[in-house]
Amino acid sequence: MTVLEGDGTSEEPLADPHGDPFLRTRFAVPARPVTYLRRERLNRHLDEALRTPLTMVNGSAGAGKTLLVADWVERLDGLPVAWLTTEAAGDGPGMFWAYLLRALRTAGVALPADIGFPADANRVSPALQARLAAQLSVREEPVVVVLDEFDRVTAPEIAEQLEFVLRHAGPGLRLVLVTRTEPLLPLHRYRAAGELTEIRGAELAFTAPEAARLMELHGLRLPPAAVRALVERTRGWAAGLRLSALAAGQSPDAEACLKEFEADRSAIADFLLAEVLKRQNAETQDLLLRAGLLDRFCPDLADALTGRTDAAPILERLSRDNAFVEHLGHGLYRLHPLFAEILRAHLRLRLPGLEPELHRRAADWLRRAGRLTEALGHGAAADDWEFTAGALVDDLAIGQFFTGPRSDAVTGLFARMGAGSTGPAPELVRAADRLARCEIDDGLTHLRRARHDLAEDDGTAAARLSCALLEALAARLSGAPERAEDAAREAQELRNEVPAELLERHPELTALLLDHLGSARLWAGRFEEARDALSTVADSAPEAATALPREDALGRLALIDHLDGWPGRAERKAHAALAETERFGLPQPSGSGVERLVLAAVAIDRDELGQAQALLDTSADAHPAMRDPVLAAGRALTTARLHLARGEPGSALKAVEPQLAAAAVSPWARGQSALVAAAAHLAEGRTDTAASLLRDVSDEQPACAVGAARVRLATGRAADAVRLLDRTHPERHAGPAVAVRAALVRAQAADEAGDAVAARRLVVRALAEARRERLRRPFREAGPWIRPHLGSASLHWLTTGWLAPGTGATPHTQPPPPVVEELSGREHDVLRRLALAMSTEEIAADLYVSVNTVKTHLKSVYRKLSVNRRNEAVRRARELDLL
Amino acid sequence: MRYEIRVDGHLSEPLIKVFPELDHVTMSGQTLLFGHVVDEAHLYGLLARCQSLGLRILELRQAPE
Repeated sequence: MTVLEGDGTSEEPLADPHGDPFLRTRFAVPARPVTYLRRERLNRHLDEALRTPLTMVNGSAGAGKTLLVADWVERLDGLPVAWLTTEAAGDGPGMFWAYLLRALRTAGVALPADIGFPADANRVSPALQARLAAQLSVREEPVVVVLDEFDRVTAPEIAEQLEFVLRHAGPGLRLVLVTRTEPLLPLHRYRAAGELTEIRGAELAFTAPEAARLMELHGLRLPPAAVRALVERTRGWAAGLRLSALAAGQSPDAEACLKEFEADRSAIADFLLAEVLKRQNAETQDLLLRAGLLDRFCPDLADALTGRTDAAPILERLSRDNAFVEHLGHGLYRLHPLFAEILRAHLRLRLPGLEPELHRRAADWLRRAGRLTEALGHGAAADDWEFTAGALVDDLAIGQFFTGPRSDAVTGLFARMGAGSTGPAPELVRAADRLARCEIDDGLTHLRRARHDLAEDDGTAAARLSCALLEALAARLSGAPERAEDAAREAQELRNEVPAELLERHPELTALLLDHLGSARLWAGRFEEARDALSTVADSAPEAATALPREDALGRLALIDHLDGWPGRAERKAHAALAETERFGLPQPSGSGVERLVLAAVAIDRDELGQAQALLDTSADAHPAMRDPVLAAGRALTTARLHLARGEPGSALKAVEPQLAAAAVSPWARGQSALVAAAAHLAEGRTDTAASLLRDVSDEQPACAVGAARVRLATGRAADAVRLLDRTHPERHAGPAVAVRAALVRAQAADEAGDAVAARRLVVRALAEARRERLRRPFREAGPWIRPHLGSASLHWLTTGWLAPGTGATPHTQPPPPVVEELSGREHDVLRRLALAMSTEEIAADLYVSVNTVKTHLKSVYRKLSVNRRNEAVRRARELDLL
Repeated sequence: MRYEIRVDGHLSEPLIKVFPELDHVTMSGQTLLFGHVVDEAHLYGLLARCQSLGLRILELRQAPE
């Protein structure tokens, strides 16, 4: 059985980004066999590793690299050593860093929980490396990090990221790479700076005296000439010498055996392995050949491959004899990679055609042992897709197609599935694969087939639940809220039939389902019900597996707030969504990126157009499985609003034009589109078109009522506009973004009616509400009538600091007013004392705070006033009437 | 692209079978593997196969078509 990490005391994740438990054996320093020969010249050279940031032990397979370093670290007194045996090639950065963090923690290096954790097996946040480097750089004693079999790390970005950490961790980190190939780090730079300790193949090679001692450890006393010949034949290669010793030790005449080897002209490993193999009994040979397909394994799994029950004693004996097999502890074994490779070659020749069957047996055993990832790997190697897809579906792991952590791995695995495999599970997998790419029609076709198959053979509850999840997703993507509700109801019933343990193991399934449901409801304009579903997702426990749906749900909650006219709330939720992606190292932008759209919309309301454009640009690449009509409408509307704000009504009309292919009509998307289009027509003087656009739109949506009132105002029907507002009262049903605009419509109506006092009162009300949210856009779009009001000296107190330039000049004669963030109370205190020419120390003493706190306040004052020194700050503050 | 990979030693039958896409000749303590290589990825794959089998590469060259 796999050895699981057991100490679940802290917040540290117990599972890797694939959702599998960490394999503890990957952190174990390999044990040396009794026949290990310590060579002091190499250990002395390795001692240099404590003085250089980077050490590389580089040599061919079986050169003795790992055992050398393992022996050396065991004798490092007191220094923490993090050992990590790199896993199979193709692992992404997410997996690598998750395991490296775990290795550091296993070594007793304290790392704060907020250092982050990769949720995506293939990506990792740069902030994680920065935080890790910062943590290591303040250490008093270095931590030695050994990365064994580093040649398996093939992703170039991992080398880059490692180099970053190494460079910034300073003396807190000593990195030792054990590898067959040159790593992609800039070794020349370290070499030139004397910061590299290097042990290469030539140095690892055994000298004749060393070989003689090694032979003695194996109980072979050889004349010097024989040893020299052996060293020459093997070129001092450790594995070659070891195998020679084994072969000779098992033969009646050791010297004759070695002579034969000398004379033979075969490739060394090939010859020696065959020699040692043929001396084993038939059962052992059979076991070794079959186990060559396995990575790490326990005797029970080996028995599953041989169909016998003798693996335990055989493996124990082999590892004791140090022939091929090493014991990893906890009852786990593995074959030396070099031998495993050659054994596989022998297997293919001796038992042709057996390989797929063995993979199938391994997959079966692993699936029963609950090791899904490995089971899927062997199932795919056996080319048995009904089994492999079935294992994924019955484990309820179908959500892994969507939620970052394993999505790439799962997609990659099933990319090899041919069209020939049929049945509910392969069809469900195909449907998930297509829907994850937003290929809705294809996805629905496979989904229909899956449903048909499930109806016929009454498939497992897990399969039917998976089907419901995909139905909900398809419904969401095609904007069909009723279908989403049906699917969710069906899923709710099925949940009771699925083992609770499966649901617990796959929180992403529930999170995705609710996110799809919530988003479909949002499309339908049922905000309260949408909020119910989405909040459940957003409030669920932060876990890597659910990072993506949680981000998406938060982003959509932000969108609801925005549509309700609450920019501040929307902004807070959108930031929480972004923080979620940061924390779990999701790619930027990940998920639907809907939170960026919301932030852009908020920025437009605040007239921060450059910012809005930047946010729109970075939200361009959304996860295909989240590209639903809500997102498309949100993007079209925000883009159109930005054009409007820039005075480009033509582009705004174009942007809002594309009608979305959705099964159901979304009232808010339709209303808001009409609103934007009407505003654009209004800007170009086509008041009739604008009026007709809004005629069809329900006044029940507060924003639409205000929009309709504005059009009436523009067509000279001021009284009509006010009547509409009085009837619908949009202020009561929405937040400040709507209320401020409503107040301004009323103010303009009063202004046009010549009631200056009422107009002013309403402008004051609008300003008071807008100030907290810094809503500048409503005032910019209000029209020229508002300028005298805003410019009047008595309203300064309401406009300074965020809306007016402070001098009372109209926006026409002055450059656009500076966008100034409001100063906090404390910052005001500091600024006022600055104006009195007090020194930083004096201010600190006066305010009973530390000098550093004052400096922090000063920095943000400078930033908010866009100045660099104190006298500039004072001058600027006077200009802005802040003093 | 045609390539020749010369490795040290004679290869046993199982090892030869690891390179089904290549022909081979054995000569004076060396084995010459040769044949059509699809692209660079294939070439690096072949080199990795040699490495994982502990073979010593003596020479690698592109042969004329």
